Amino acid sequence: MTSVSTELASRKAVATTKQAASPLRRVPFYVIVYIILILGVVISLFPYYIAFLTALKQPSQIFSGSAWTLPNPVTFQNFIDVVEKYNFLAFIGHTLIYAVILTIGQLIFSTMAAYAFARMEFPFRDQIFWLYLSTLMVPAVVTLIPLFLILKTFDLVNTWPGLVLPYVLGTPFGIFLMRQFFLTIPKDLESAARIDGAGTMQIMFRVILPLSRPIMATLAIITFVQAWNSFLWPLIVTDTDDMRVLTVGIAAFQSNYGTQWNLMMAATFIALGPLLILFFLFQQQIVRSIHLSGFK
Amino acid sequence: MQEIKRDITGTGGAGAVVITQPGRLREKRRFKPQTILSLQAYAFLLPSFIGLLVFSLIPIVAVAVLSLFNWSLIGTPTFIGLKNYGVMLSSSAFWHSMLLTLYYVLLNIPMQTVFALLLALLLNQKIPGRGIFRTIFVVPWMATAAAMGIVWQWIFDPQYGTLNTFLSVFHIVGPAWLSSTAWALPSIAAVNIWQYTGYNMLFFLAGLQGIPLDFYEAASLDGANAARQFFTITLPLLTPTMFFVLVTDIIGSAQVFDTVYVMTQGGPGNATTVLNFSIFQQAFVFFHAGYASALSMALFVILLIITMIQVFFFSNRTVYDLS
Repeated sequence: MTSVSTELASRKAVATTKQAASPLRRVPFYVIVYIILILGVVISLFPYYIAFLTALKQPSQIFSGSAWTLPNPVTFQNFIDVVEKYNFLAFIGHTLIYAVILTIGQLIFSTMAAYAFARMEFPFRDQIFWLYLSTLMVPAVVTLIPLFLILKTFDLVNTWPGLVLPYVLGTPFGIFLMRQFFLTIPKDLESAARIDGAGTMQIMFRVILPLSRPIMATLAIITFVQAWNSFLWPLIVTDTDDMRVLTVGIAAFQSNYGTQWNLMMAATFIALGPLLILFFLFQQQIVRSIHLSGFK
Repeated sequence: MQEIKRDITGTGGAGAVVITQPGRLREKRRFKPQTILSLQAYAFLLPSFIGLLVFSLIPIVAVAVLSLFNWSLIGTPTFIGLKNYGVMLSSSAFWHSMLLTLYYVLLNIPMQTVFALLLALLLNQKIPGRGIFRTIFVVPWMATAAAMGIVWQWIFDPQYGTLNTFLSVFHIVGPAWLSSTAWALPSIAAVNIWQYTGYNMLFFLAGLQGIPLDFYEAASLDGANAARQFFTITLPLLTPTMFFVLVTDIIGSAQVFDTVYVMTQGGPGNATTVLNFSIFQQAFVFFHAGYASALSMALFVILLIITMIQVFFFSNRTVYDLS
């Protein structure tokens, strides 16, 4: 890396005169880029547009027209009903607690395990990693049955520990993700720190973690959204309203007597709101550039 | 006496190996760095391993054992040995589900990966509004599958749906997407691509962030154009990310369930009865929990083989450090 930097410095001295790139040449590039991006935006958002229209319709209008006719009259009553009549603020609270606990646990425990797999030498390292990885390959549909029975044995059904424990100690997915990233951190950095006398914990906090901000932000977002949207597990483990999460609440609008589309769509948007805000705040963390130039 | 110090312990010189006689290695007794490091590593692994053992490994072993039994979810299971596997291997429904699953993965993953990489490359540039674009592209992944599945059903509706109405503007008569044996599975694949492209874009963005800008500067001063820089710098340094994306996406995609359940319920006929849906049906609709467990084991073996192929493919190609 240092050889690249010194090369760069000497070349920059020579090449300063070359840099007058014409801005006009960039215009077609920008046009194509923006066309692609706008197309992507339209495709990404129009199902939400339809869902939003539905959320603004009165129940009578849902079946009298096609999905994309405009609401007439526009009504916000669905949103109000969902919050007041159906207790969704409480569901938001439960889901928030669940997602935050899982995210913190994932960030701490998966990072530790991933660092061990990426940079530490120990017996059976690769075999144990394959063990972790292989648990991802068994479909969850049937494994949920024994998992539920385990919780039942320890009286943890419909409790916060029961809901959270299977996933709070880190997941193979998170460990895999962090490990791949840690493998790209140059070994020179750590060797230099060790020669300077740093212990493992110091290396973690002074070298590894500062460099890992993008990947940890990514992992945090992914874990949070997955927890927020997780359905099957909370459905199985929670029985009562004081533990119900958003996804289960939304699904409750479907019953054998028919589905209340308008309420369901309104509830979907209420569930979506916090995620959007959080994501927009976090995505800057993901793409803050790391300049690894100039190792001293 | 030859004293040869070799850093075989990876500690940068903290421990030393001394050869005192030919053929005899004895570690100097100041510390035992390797043992300390190993213990540290195991300590780092301990919390996640406890979670894995209790909540993952034990249920998986339970499922493997259950595959040797006949159980209708109530009452006691009866032992039938390998009969479930015999039935499975001679069942055309099983092979049909297996092929459907592979077809689905092939429809889904290549397109998703290419789109995600393209978007990540575009949004890694300093163009105005990139934060908003990044957020918008990830939005499809953020809504509950159930609600979005319903909306997509409306979009795919043959008569009133948005898609066919849009196509009729160009005088194209769209098929009955979700009720057509030919188009049902590709339609579900399309929804999945819509849902997960932005999500995969996140990984590629994080991976792109890890590539030092120095390399690009040096290359462009050398006269390399954008395409060449992509193939010699970007793509090689993205291999760890690509490996992760492909492995996890294929594993996840082969286990598709939510969209199938909401949109087609495995139909029309068995045109979308992918393996995981078949597992669900066997366990919770037909109450053959033992047989469903055997199917789960089959899916596990298939995914293991596919993942090992990927590991092998990537093992000589993964570049972690260009220096």
